[in-house]
Amino acid sequence: MTSPDISIPSLMLCFFLLVIPLAISYRIKLHISWTTIDAVARMTVQLVLVGVFLTYVFDLNNGALNMAWVLGMVIIASYSTIRNIELKMEKLLLPVILSFIAANLSVLMYFNKFVLDLGNLLEARYLIPIGGMILGNSLKGNIVGMGVFYEDIRRNENRYIYNLSLGASMYEALMPYIRKCLRSALRPTLANIATTGIVFLPGMMTGQILEGASPMLAIKYQISIMIAIYVSTTMSTVFSILSTIHTTFDEYGLVKKEIYREKGKKKENKKRI
Amino acid sequence: MQDEIIRYENVGVSFGSKKVLSNFSLNIPKGKKILMKGKSGVGKSTLFKTLLGFEKISEGSLYYRGKLLNPQLSWQVRKEVAYVSQNTDLGEGPVKALLEEVHAYRPNRKKMDPEKLHMFMGELELEEDILEKNFENLSGGEKQRIGILIALLLGRDVFLLDEATSSLDSGLKKKVADNFLKHGDWTLVIISHDREWEREEVEIIEIGKTDPIEE
Ligand SMILES: Nc1ncnc2c1ncn2[C@@H]1O[C@H](COP(=O)(O)OP(=O)(O)OP(=O)(O)O)[C@@H](O)[C@H]1O
Ligand SMILES: [Mg+2]
Repeated sequence: MTSPDISIPSLMLCFFLLVIPLAISYRIKLHISWTTIDAVARMTVQLVLVGVFLTYVFDLNNGALNMAWVLGMVIIASYSTIRNIELKMEKLLLPVILSFIAANLSVLMYFNKFVLDLGNLLEARYLIPIGGMILGNSLKGNIVGMGVFYEDIRRNENRYIYNLSLGASMYEALMPYIRKCLRSALRPTLANIATTGIVFLPGMMTGQILEGASPMLAIKYQISIMIAIYVSTTMSTVFSILSTIHTTFDEYGLVKKEIYREKGKKKENKKRI
Repeated sequence: MQDEIIRYENVGVSFGSKKVLSNFSLNIPKGKKILMKGKSGVGKSTLFKTLLGFEKISEGSLYYRGKLLNPQLSWQVRKEVAYVSQNTDLGEGPVKALLEEVHAYRPNRKKMDPEKLHMFMGELELEEDILEKNFENLSGGEKQRIGILIALLLGRDVFLLDEATSSLDSGLKKKVADNFLKHGDWTLVIISHDREWEREEVEIIEIGKTDPIEE
């Protein structure tokens, strides 16, 4: 434990740095002062709560509780994926949650078992932070991928319908959209992998080095975690698309208009009687 | 009863509170050539889309080969009927890739015959180099001809042509019409305002003599 403690007054000094972006925002009328304050306030409250909870969770280190924590994160991740792509919750939440569970938990368990070789796979110190990193990143991939997929299908509906009219099955007609969605979902992760170490030192590595781990150990963790993230992002995006298709397309192979939350876009589905 | 392909029986379609078709009846036996005309917006394209399962009818019944249309049957229709859509936004990327994709669909496998391709391209006055061009950069008339080309390549014998020749010059219009009409056994349902389709063997049908009713 070599990192120096950050006292409350020192933390205040860190908050003081925010004066700079706030001043800029005020001076050139960016209108993001409130958003900034709101975001920082939210982060602080959330992290304080998480800090308190995690202290207990780590002390108890109960397998079931740790798992419940991870599942809670999965539900929040699924929820925010759907929210961010402006689709309706009801029918999509369950398939997305199941996709996240299937993709992330299997990668996480594999990681803990074969990469870290843990005796207790549900050990809080590993399960929670590594689960969080894998989930957080596959969440980003899913938001991009699912968003691209459902937006594209809506925008290019004519092409899609034309392909159906030529005798394509739903999967054949959807394949170009699935390809594009996966490419968009994975591109940021790939770019991240390729620039790791040159452009940025990832958070986990920084943390470990601050904690006094050897840089060599830190990079081995980093390499493994990046690969785990890439795999889980791929799996969860594929699972999410494939599992939601069943509820979002009708028996004619057409996307159900009612899954889209209208945000002042087209006025296609007005009030239904 | 002759070999009946398509039959509309008192069909009506509504979009929300807007009624676009009502009480439309038509029987299309095998080998028949029908030219549909009517004001813009009366629902001509919608008639095709209902058969393909892209729009739902709200009244009446629609039969394909004597069977009441249902979701499974509309998948069958899509495998057996060649449709040229009025909208020419058919895809993107090289034309060649587009053709290959179409022929990769299960019902169309093994139908890509280079000899036929060149024959149809000749009939449609399409140059060889168009295969390398990106579809989205083609002219309106070129896009239409690619749509017709694909329909012909599928080797089907029921055609739904929705304004398939509207952007072509009159010489080409005539040539395309000739090429379709020379096949006695082909069933053709044509939506067009082009005179070139008006022949002896073609029955002309006016759609929606009365204006669409708004509620
Ligand atoms: N999905 C839809 N939602 C709402 N209205 C629609 C939809 N599809 C078609 N319509 C309306 O139905 C009417 C008939 O459309 P359709 O495309 O069948 O006309 P059309 O007879 O083919 O016209 P044109 O000669 O201009 O091609 C139009 O007023 C159109 O706006
Ligand atoms: Mg039309």
